[in-house]
Amino acid sequence: MTPAVAQPLPEGLPGDRLSRIQIDRSCRQTVVWYMVSAVAWLLAGSLLALLASIKMHTPGFLADADWLTFGRVRPAHLSTMIYGWGSMAGVGVLLWLQARLSRVRLPLPLLLPVTVVIWNLAVLYGTVRILQGASTGIEWLEFPVEVLAFIGFCMAVIIVASVLMFVRRQVKHTYVSQWYLFGAVLWFPFLYILGVVLSEAGDVRGVAKAAANWWFAHNVLGLWFTPIGLATAYYMIPKVIGRPVHSYHLSLLGFWTLAIFYNWAGTHHLIGGPLPAWLVTVGIVGSMMMFIPVITVAVNHHLTMAGNFHHLRTSPTLRFVVVAAMSYTVVSFQGSLTALRAVNEVSHFTHYTIAHAHLGVYAFFTMMMFGAAYYILPRLMNTEWHSARWIRVHFWATSLGMALYWLGLTWAGWRQGEMMNDPNIPFLAIVEYTKPWLHSRSLAGVLMTIGHVSFAWLVWNLVRQRGAALIGPTLLKRRKSA
Amino acid sequence: MFLVYLVIWAFTLLAGASAVWALAWAVQTGQFRDFRAGAASIFDEGEPVGRVTDAFPGEGKHP
Repeated sequence: MTPAVAQPLPEGLPGDRLSRIQIDRSCRQTVVWYMVSAVAWLLAGSLLALLASIKMHTPGFLADADWLTFGRVRPAHLSTMIYGWGSMAGVGVLLWLQARLSRVRLPLPLLLPVTVVIWNLAVLYGTVRILQGASTGIEWLEFPVEVLAFIGFCMAVIIVASVLMFVRRQVKHTYVSQWYLFGAVLWFPFLYILGVVLSEAGDVRGVAKAAANWWFAHNVLGLWFTPIGLATAYYMIPKVIGRPVHSYHLSLLGFWTLAIFYNWAGTHHLIGGPLPAWLVTVGIVGSMMMFIPVITVAVNHHLTMAGNFHHLRTSPTLRFVVVAAMSYTVVSFQGSLTALRAVNEVSHFTHYTIAHAHLGVYAFFTMMMFGAAYYILPRLMNTEWHSARWIRVHFWATSLGMALYWLGLTWAGWRQGEMMNDPNIPFLAIVEYTKPWLHSRSLAGVLMTIGHVSFAWLVWNLVRQRGAALIGPTLLKRRKSA
Repeated sequence: MFLVYLVIWAFTLLAGASAVWALAWAVQTGQFRDFRAGAASIFDEGEPVGRVTDAFPGEGKHP
């Protein structure tokens, strides 16, 4: 990959367009590397997910090798998806958005690509250790402690890059997406360091450790993935359809209420657990208060889109982003309601929760990152996507897969919870009941994986620049050799 | 145990203080004043309001 500055810029473009191209080119190396690494982890995570899912209904499948047992494959799936796919795609999108919103070149052109290498090695090392049986056993923090040092270093560099871009910014106004991105970039290291300290410090034991664990795990979604996802939506929807956000003051209200309320919600994972009741109630109140930011975001995105839904037919970015934004509303409503004790009594410890978690991390965040990739990568590689058909395969396979996944497990999980609360039903009967739905989960996983392979194929061809050349942000020109 | 408390309180105070500082900074520098201009700040002459900037490859009506 050639350095960004070495390329001559096309002549005859207006000044501001020129600078947008320059900004995009300054991001090329770092952001493309982050995104390509993320896609590689997405494929690895999908494979681990399929193994784990098949083992749920066919326990004997590949059970002879100890490193392929469920207890290792499942946390390896979660960790590769969270720290490999989600976080790396998130960082790529975050850096590009910040450069664009501040209208400056991406700083630290030597150090940032190095963080990609370090981050990849950290995730690889952590995943291998989990498969070897050295997981810490703490959910969402299964990687060995030393991984913290490496990802921590990368995050420190990313914070410096973010601050540099903000200080050098050429735009007076701080756009709503920047608020979210700054929140994400400062909150995540705080969470991660505190999460590791609290789970590794010998003094924190028992229920205190569980409380710290779920405070951390919930906030990785709430204060790391969610702000990056919403920042993307607040940029992509207006930008693609060419219409400013419907209500800008609502968007800022949404940010500040999210910042105030989200980090309280974690203890709703421990409803019914042996924690002090007030600690759980705090989590429930925090979850209820989340209705405010969620409704402001949902209303705002809907009203921005109103009258522009026909663009869903023609824009791949908009398709993924709008599906993701709608999923955000659904998953947040569902999450707030699930935090109520009466609902949680049934849903806790069932497949319902698994469906809910995937609606958040997949239907919301992952789909948002797909949408962002469809917008960002062609501009960085100066090349169009090579095939509209593969994009459609990607969209429909992932959307239908996710819908099947969520509907099947939500229904089965709820019934499972009701049956578990009935002392007259033997436990084995409940296990038998869930089996067909576990098969539907595997089928959904296959569909989503088909989507991921199509996406990887598209990205591979794009990076190899096998597509029409893209000159200027919106100009299409056939490459002579293509 | 003392170190754990120190880390928790240091981080909590730092996070809280930075949020208060950010809010004060935003009010002082007029970030909450002209919402119309704020919402339009992502558009420019090259990509003005009204221009659709994404389409399936080979299917878009690019100007």
